[in-house]
Amino acid sequence: MKYVIIGNGVAGVTAAETIRRFDESGDISIISDETFLPYCRPMISNLLEGSVPEEKLSIRSKDFYDKNRISPVLGVRASSIDTGSRVVVTEDGKKHPYDRLLLACGADPKGLDAKGSELENIFFMRNIAHVKKMISALPQIKNALVLGGGLVGFKAAYSLLKRGVSVTMLIRSGYPLSMQVDETAGRMIQTVLQDHGLTVRTGVSAEAFEGNGRVQKAVLSDGDRIDCDMAVIGKGVFPAHGFVPRDSINTDAGILVDRHMKTSSDCVYAAGDVAESFDLSRQRRWVNAIWPEAVSQGRVAGMNMAGHPISYRGSLSRNVIRIFDTDVMSAGRVSKREVDDSCRTAEAFDPGRKTYRKLVFDGDILVGFVMVNRVEQGGVLTSLVQSRMPVDIPEQYLLDPNFNVSRLMRR
Amino acid sequence: MKQVIVHPERCVGCMQCMLACATAHSKTGNLFSAILENPLPRPRIHVGAGIYYEGFPNRCRHCDPAPCQMACLPGAIYRQTETNTVLINPDVCINCASCAMACPYGVIRYHKDPLAPAGKAVAVKCDNCIARQHKGRVPACVEVCKTGALTFEESDRAMKRKTDMVARSVTAEATPVEHAEGFALLRTVKKAVTEINLAR
Repeated sequence: MKYVIIGNGVAGVTAAETIRRFDESGDISIISDETFLPYCRPMISNLLEGSVPEEKLSIRSKDFYDKNRISPVLGVRASSIDTGSRVVVTEDGKKHPYDRLLLACGADPKGLDAKGSELENIFFMRNIAHVKKMISALPQIKNALVLGGGLVGFKAAYSLLKRGVSVTMLIRSGYPLSMQVDETAGRMIQTVLQDHGLTVRTGVSAEAFEGNGRVQKAVLSDGDRIDCDMAVIGKGVFPAHGFVPRDSINTDAGILVDRHMKTSSDCVYAAGDVAESFDLSRQRRWVNAIWPEAVSQGRVAGMNMAGHPISYRGSLSRNVIRIFDTDVMSAGRVSKREVDDSCRTAEAFDPGRKTYRKLVFDGDILVGFVMVNRVEQGGVLTSLVQSRMPVDIPEQYLLDPNFNVSRLMRR
Repeated sequence: MKQVIVHPERCVGCMQCMLACATAHSKTGNLFSAILENPLPRPRIHVGAGIYYEGFPNRCRHCDPAPCQMACLPGAIYRQTETNTVLINPDVCINCASCAMACPYGVIRYHKDPLAPAGKAVAVKCDNCIARQHKGRVPACVEVCKTGALTFEESDRAMKRKTDMVARSVTAEATPVEHAEGFALLRTVKKAVTEINLAR
């Protein structure tokens, strides 16, 4: 059996290990354009911040490929797939025949439609290479501009602040992390960042960059021109399935998968940031490009590819963020655009303890939540959202920071 | 393989397990010197209250596969197969709280710990007292539990006992078996107090 995996992110790596556990003799190869050992992508901001050295980003040891008898095909992207003759072609023209194929090719950062965005010191922040370039530019940087208040923009801003750089963040919506949290939590996050020196400008975007080879100024949509010797583009990512044949593999935002992580093409599976799976809180297809789902999906895809059919229960968006002394956790439907009149919400805000909690219910099913500080019990709420277990205890118990899992037990 | 088994119906909420756990995970291993340590040792078992304020000793289930292990960003969480224990390497942990988001039982805490690198806050949870087990001792929470709410035994044996109890309870002549004098009374009182408070 020939297994080909495109992508050596955590979905691909987990799938490869899972396959090897169930199939000792099959040929496994991993194709990836990144040449580093498999590493932890969410931790690249720790690298930028300087809190974690590069060698600690690896999630597998140097002998990972040898030990699992995996043939790495690195430094090259897959360029096309022939699902009829079951062959993957890479950019260098080489052909890689497969019996089972996993598309774990992740996502690419969205570009910026602004004049001068090809100038030096304008960065994406998606992989180790990007961050290493940022770090080598750091000594000359005084003012950084972060475009976008999403997770990437937010992590870039936090890391640069920690490095002593003066940072301005441009957010088109009214507050940071508007996709992940509600307005109250978003404003709390913004206040923390501003208290530590971040400048936030809302309702504006960058229209052009100026500079002599290297970026020096940004022109904003309100006509303002501000100094910046570095810019970070955090406009989100899109699933990297441009090379996938649409006629045989169904795609929408991501590559559509069933509960076995199989695509519409026989013998082709997808997992991780590129896959569009069933979302448990939204009850519809969704791309949940987060680390723990990539691990789970890689595991399920690997088992199914190796001939052990197991089902994936569905994905759930969730994030936890620690900034300075504030912790924020959110899951499922909680942002302004996803909570409508059909939802019931309950919230508790304690200025003394600096805690905030909001629960979003659809009927008696918990479909989302956000919590600021005292996040230790967040996993219990996450699992309530995932299990869709009807909540029949008073919601005040779930809002209590001292909430204990036993409150959910019937005796 | 013996493991810690929780019998919530026997817990009276005395929290002695928490004290014993914190002491067992201190530098000095003695209660009277442990309270003077910095950082202060903290428990890895957490007695919480149910809706009727009945006690519940909440500790790591050492799940397999473990959601915390799958969610861990730096790969600090691993399984020690000999004792079937999920462990966190404090040197590798980056205190990102990804495991808090994954743990369906909410048993992971984040703080400086006597057994972690000095000054570093890390994720901390039950380690099945493997250091004690290595010396032939039972986990500290079990040793100190006075009501039998925590036992250290083969799970097969515990399940057999539970099955027998269920079997006995389904006959026509069955009467509820009290674990010890007073359990039913304690529960009734706690429930009544809660309901009176709710009705107010």
